[in-house]
Amino acid sequence: MSTIETQPSLFQYRELLKNLVIKDLKVKYRNSFLGFLWSLLNPLMMIIVYSVVLRYILRVQIENFPLFLIIGILPWNLFSGTAIAATEAITGNANLIKKIAFPREVLPLATVLFHVAQFLLALLVFFPALAFLGAPWTPAIALYPLVLLLQVVFTGGVALFLSAIAVAYRDIKYLTEIALMILFWMTPVVYHFSMVPERVRWLFELNPMTAYITAYHDMLYWGRWPDAQMVLLGSLWAVLALGVGSWVFRRRQRLFTEDL
Amino acid sequence: MLPAIEVRHVWKQFLIRHNRADSLKERFIGLFNQRYRERCEPFWALRDISFTVEHGEALGLIGPNGSGKSTLLRLIARTLYPTKGEIIVRGRVAPMIELGVGFHHELTGQENIYLNASLYGLTRREIDRVYHDIVEFSELGEFIDVPVKNYSTGMYARLGFSIAVHLDPDILLVDEVLAVGDERFQNKCLEKMLELRKQGKTIVFISHIAEIVQRLCDRACLLMQGRMVELGEVSKIIELYRSAAAPRVLTP
Ligand SMILES: Nc1ncnc2c1ncn2[C@@H]1O[C@H](COP(=O)(O)OP(=O)(O)O)[C@@H](O)[C@H]1O
Ligand SMILES: [Mg+2]
Repeated sequence: MSTIETQPSLFQYRELLKNLVIKDLKVKYRNSFLGFLWSLLNPLMMIIVYSVVLRYILRVQIENFPLFLIIGILPWNLFSGTAIAATEAITGNANLIKKIAFPREVLPLATVLFHVAQFLLALLVFFPALAFLGAPWTPAIALYPLVLLLQVVFTGGVALFLSAIAVAYRDIKYLTEIALMILFWMTPVVYHFSMVPERVRWLFELNPMTAYITAYHDMLYWGRWPDAQMVLLGSLWAVLALGVGSWVFRRRQRLFTEDL
Repeated sequence: MLPAIEVRHVWKQFLIRHNRADSLKERFIGLFNQRYRERCEPFWALRDISFTVEHGEALGLIGPNGSGKSTLLRLIARTLYPTKGEIIVRGRVAPMIELGVGFHHELTGQENIYLNASLYGLTRREIDRVYHDIVEFSELGEFIDVPVKNYSTGMYARLGFSIAVHLDPDILLVDEVLAVGDERFQNKCLEKMLELRKQGKTIVFISHIAEIVQRLCDRACLLMQGRMVELGEVSKIIELYRSAAAPRVLTP
């Protein structure tokens, strides 16, 4: 009749995962619709600033530039926001980790889902803007959820990795911020992939975010099916990140309680 | 029936980290400069502990400060892992190592009940079923809809204790929690623990109050400097402890 309690399963703790995400949303948006508006302000300002600077000062020649920017910036913020928050997913919950034995993966995964929820809310608000700016509505959009899913899986792997590493190296957050800044300029968010000089293109292709962002541009800006090669690359990165991330996380989690 | 808890030759080592390097920067500096390098000193908090606790049994852990009682309880709760040996736990565990852990101060009592119970692995339906009992036992009344940041320490602890005993655990791990709240609530907690014991729950209990250990526990285990000195009848263990260690009070 009795069961041996081994490692508690993630599935058994789905209620916790849900509650943690709801808690974060509540704490952020409770009492203030303003909280939500603030979270929209950041991408909005990025779009305005890049439009002005790149278009009118650096004279980047991309037609309908605001549309191009919205499509790339929202998913980019999803990735970078999650990565930074993940560095504190474990270290910021030391009290829970030390005293309650729930599966530790729940914390970074809740961070990911919270940011996905925020992304979807933002998408909802920016959706009319996409229509207004003349985004092409083609059947290719059907693949949008798939590419988004790949990006989320990739982000999940990165979040597992960073949250576990941050326990031993508390300054990983600053390194992550620097790395994200470099990565941002190496991802075709504010320029088009074809503008990258041939010689260094391989380097940009190695960047996982290039695969996802290029696919979004294909679907929503150019109105065509995403490049098969990019989708394949994006899938490989997603599987690889999740594999490495979970492996590192599992190896380190036993010492979380002692190191926090 | 197999025992509720089996502790087999468990050793627990902590690394006491002098000059602790917990950033990449410090590690990097340590590469070049001996003075700033981290040194780890191994410390055995528990040495070769073995015992079993049967279903429905209450075991008291007694010993001076730093003897490893809390460490042992955490190993059973699986927030720590043994360095050597193994621990088998059969059944759902409700650790009461500290009350109110995981409460979020911006959330109301009600919201915290749902969040907290799910931290212990309860599903939505299981929480719905015990929700009213939790509120009633905590005696919070209308305060249940107030954010817990406005609670007094006693209210906070009452809610924490109330959740812990309603998790429908098979095994309760209790570390010093009865020391919180006013005397009336302390007595109520003790009554509840005695009731749970009667219901056949397994209990592992640390307390510095000898009378409570005597009332609640079937057997007791004396720990000193990480070793198990003796396990047996409660009054004998308490006597042994009092003769071995000068201080009359058991420490947390
Ligand atoms: N995370 C830790 N790192 C290093 N040493 C620890 C840690 N936790 C406990 N200890 C040490 O282990 C010993 C036993 O502690 P503890 O189990 O809390 O004792 P007790 O509860 O019996 O007072 C103490 O000497 C304490 O300093
Ligand atoms: Mg203690």
